Amino acid sequence: MSFTSWRQQRWKRWLHRRIPASSSVLLDQRRIFIIPSRTGVAFGGALALMLLAGINYQNSLAYGLTFFLLAVFVVAILHTYRNLAGLTLQAAGSAPVFVGEHAAFRMRLLSSTRGHQAITLSWPPEPAQAQDVPPQGVVECELNLLAVQRGWLRPQRLRVESQFPLGLLMAWSWVDLDQAALVYPQPLSDALPLSAGFGKDQQEEGGRARGEGADDFQGLRSFQPGDSQTRLHWKAFSRGQGLLVKDFVSLSGSEQWLDLQALDGDVEARLSLLCHWVLEFSERQQPYGLRLPGGEVAISSGVSHRDACLQALALYGLET
Amino acid sequence: MSQVQPIPRISLIWLLIAQVLVIIPHLVHLPLWIIGLWLVCAGWRVQIYRMRAGYPNGWAKALLMLLAGFGVFFSRGSLIGLDAGIVLLVAAFILKLVEMRNRRDALVLILLGFFTVVTSYLFDDSLLAAFYSLLPVCALLAALIGLQQSLFAEQPLATLRLSATMLLQALPLMLLIFVFFPRIDPLWTMPLMSGKALSGLSDSMTPGDIAELSRSDALAFRASFNGPVPPQDKLYWRALTMERFDGRRWSQATSRELASAPAWQKQGEPWRYSIVMRPTDRQWLFAMDLAQTDLPGARLLGDFSLRAPAAVDRSLLYQAESWPEAIREPEAEGKTLQRNLLLPERGDPRTRAWAAQLKTQYQQPDALVQALLQHFNREEFFYTLRPPRTGTDTVDTFLFDTRRGFCAHYAGAMTYVLRAAGIPARLVAGYQGGEVNKAGNFVSVRQFDAHAWVEYWQPGKGWQTVDPTFQVAPQRIEVGLEAALADEGSFLEGSPLSLLRYRQLTWLNELRLSWDSLNYGWQRWVLGYQSRQQLDLLKDWFGELHAERLALVLVGGGGLLLGLLALWLLKPWQGRPGPLQREYLRFERLLARQGLSRRRGEGPRDFAERAAHHLSAQAVVIRHFIKLWEAQQYAGKPVEVSHLKQALSALRKALPWRFVHAEPREQEHLK
Repeated sequence: MSFTSWRQQRWKRWLHRRIPASSSVLLDQRRIFIIPSRTGVAFGGALALMLLAGINYQNSLAYGLTFFLLAVFVVAILHTYRNLAGLTLQAAGSAPVFVGEHAAFRMRLLSSTRGHQAITLSWPPEPAQAQDVPPQGVVECELNLLAVQRGWLRPQRLRVESQFPLGLLMAWSWVDLDQAALVYPQPLSDALPLSAGFGKDQQEEGGRARGEGADDFQGLRSFQPGDSQTRLHWKAFSRGQGLLVKDFVSLSGSEQWLDLQALDGDVEARLSLLCHWVLEFSERQQPYGLRLPGGEVAISSGVSHRDACLQALALYGLET
Repeated sequence: MSQVQPIPRISLIWLLIAQVLVIIPHLVHLPLWIIGLWLVCAGWRVQIYRMRAGYPNGWAKALLMLLAGFGVFFSRGSLIGLDAGIVLLVAAFILKLVEMRNRRDALVLILLGFFTVVTSYLFDDSLLAAFYSLLPVCALLAALIGLQQSLFAEQPLATLRLSATMLLQALPLMLLIFVFFPRIDPLWTMPLMSGKALSGLSDSMTPGDIAELSRSDALAFRASFNGPVPPQDKLYWRALTMERFDGRRWSQATSRELASAPAWQKQGEPWRYSIVMRPTDRQWLFAMDLAQTDLPGARLLGDFSLRAPAAVDRSLLYQAESWPEAIREPEAEGKTLQRNLLLPERGDPRTRAWAAQLKTQYQQPDALVQALLQHFNREEFFYTLRPPRTGTDTVDTFLFDTRRGFCAHYAGAMTYVLRAAGIPARLVAGYQGGEVNKAGNFVSVRQFDAHAWVEYWQPGKGWQTVDPTFQVAPQRIEVGLEAALADEGSFLEGSPLSLLRYRQLTWLNELRLSWDSLNYGWQRWVLGYQSRQQLDLLKDWFGELHAERLALVLVGGGGLLLGLLALWLLKPWQGRPGPLQREYLRFERLLARQGLSRRRGEGPRDFAERAAHHLSAQAVVIRHFIKLWEAQQYAGKPVEVSHLKQALSALRKALPWRFVHAEPREQEHLK
């Protein structure tokens, strides 16, 4: 273990003891750190110059203004701290996403008697989001994080920062809101191989659905998480009608098992393929079941069934 | 992170306002094109903000900078020196406006602004200027706050209020640092006045110069006495002596001639006082005869004038001790006496003849001087600031023809006559009298108090002061210039607005004297608060001074102030119920007024049910509130406090109004 990673480990452990993960965190003196910002250092340099002018010209007013600004700097420590203290952060859930999409973590900022201005939230190095919280108010915000692999996406600690009012000091905290978003495998649209024991019929259906599919086209409905991206109606999107997907009627009532072990190749690719077909069948409202080593989801249909299957795929082979 | 962020509107507004406020006090000594430059740059910046103009490109920037540089060079004649430096600083402060793209640029501009405010103190450090400078400082802080505000903030006045609040909160700490921060001697000398003409005495004079000075009511210096103020006719403030005369003009002897310290003996009781003098750009110090001062490096010249180690280019405070009855140089050096007997080789024959006649008449110098004074007193001499012109033989014309003049004429003529009669004599230039401010026990001496008198030497008695003007116009000495000129009406002719002309209006005069007193306090205790005064003051407070004790006071006092401020700002004794909790507490208070309070261990819902039972008329509103509250408290729905507030106010309206708490309902229930 290199020194830097060892130090990071220690730092994380220390942070964990000091600010344990919780879905609701009140920022107080235990949890807020404060140091002069880069602007503050520049300000200090300017003050030194002004002091020099005061000394060399023996000018009491130059001394006075220098000390006044110095005192303002000191008072700003309290103000900067106060702008962050008393703020409560709450996790407000997140919706599942597919690999390659951005998971949106919602959180809530609650203030007590005081308002809070220009609070920025970020997972560095992701860009920060600034929020104002009125006194006794609640503000909801959403932070996005790219999902790169399936499973539970647990963001690192959230950096809550404020330089208000003067920008000379930076008060911040690292908060773990114990948030997690479920990340499904990336759907991989491909035919189910015949060798895997899938009926010819279904393969044709699938082919047709992926091809023109004009006959079975039922209409448009609004996009929901889990919808296949191939079904997105881009023309409508470009007209500004929002994200719509083409909806297809069920082509067949026959039941299907999707079996991981019936497929060849890389596990992730197989999971992606199954993911695609779960979505596909679900859209066609065709009952299907999912078989994975170590468990299966019985044949059924509907949104909750789809979500159960997707979750099983997302968490396959992962601990917890 | 903040480097690429655009400048918020509020910040821009305050920056523009601050810029105007910063530049205004500089306008007195800045060339006028600066205003044009500001208008162009500010207009351009606003157009950039409204997206109607682009940022200047490299060429435009170079051109602007070149133009400003040429402007400075042509209006100041150079690019170096304090004057040109300040113009350059202000020009840079303005030009930065148009190339300010992001928050970092804005920060540079704000810091430049603070520095420009500091430079304005070098030109004007009066009480008014100091208080005025709080305006630009407050606006600059508001601009700094505006930079940090998110784009949701829309009220510039709220930003200003915050900046003013912070300044106010910083004030006690600032005062503490101001008093205790050790004053350091200059690390290197800085030139201040670059040949700026100051009104005041000069080292050579014709009578007209003093007449010129009497038009000015500018302050020369103030003196405060440790005891009672001596009578007016004793207040002769010496600045320098004039020992050379070329027929028209009196001037000072060379510094080499005056180098040796003269001998003198203390006698009688001294006066102790301190003087705060305005900058003169000259080395002389003002004091009454015969003075010693505590100013380091100051020395007594051969003619008993005090001389500062360097030209006084800023306000200066010094303590002085005067021995009015001292015997000065009872045995003078031959060279000195010779110098004070010199006259031009020719000219003024009538005066010379008259002096020769006087000399034969009066053997003793004292007797001759008395005769001369009586001559001025008895003959038809007039005191006037509007003397007729004199020809080539100035002294002759004055003594025998015109007989009208003011102090410089009389003193000059008398010195001439004494020298011609073989008595060493010289002209002393300085100030006489001054306005006594009873409230502050100090004397304000202004330029129109400028005066010239005579001192002559005789063996054994040394130098003695004599003032011929007293013989002609005793009011000038006993009351002041205004009284002496009462008939003529020429007092402060050139400045009709001067408050000093309206001294007869009592209330106005009181007001003016109080303001004067305030300014003197400012001069003495704030501007004069440099190393020596600081040491004196701190010694008075704490006795012996150690660096550790000073640091302890500074850190301890600062910590204490900060702690108090922290308590006041953060109010840690206030619990922090969340917004929901607070609404619920209000709900309970509302019901308590009706005599219903939650029992120990009773849940909110049960309590509400019980309340609904008691107050059946309001049951619907009570249940509505508690339903909303529970839904938001426990169901994890997005919280809308405003709904709760609405429900609560509906309940408030529905309940009967009560001024005092009702009797607890439980008791009647139990009965």
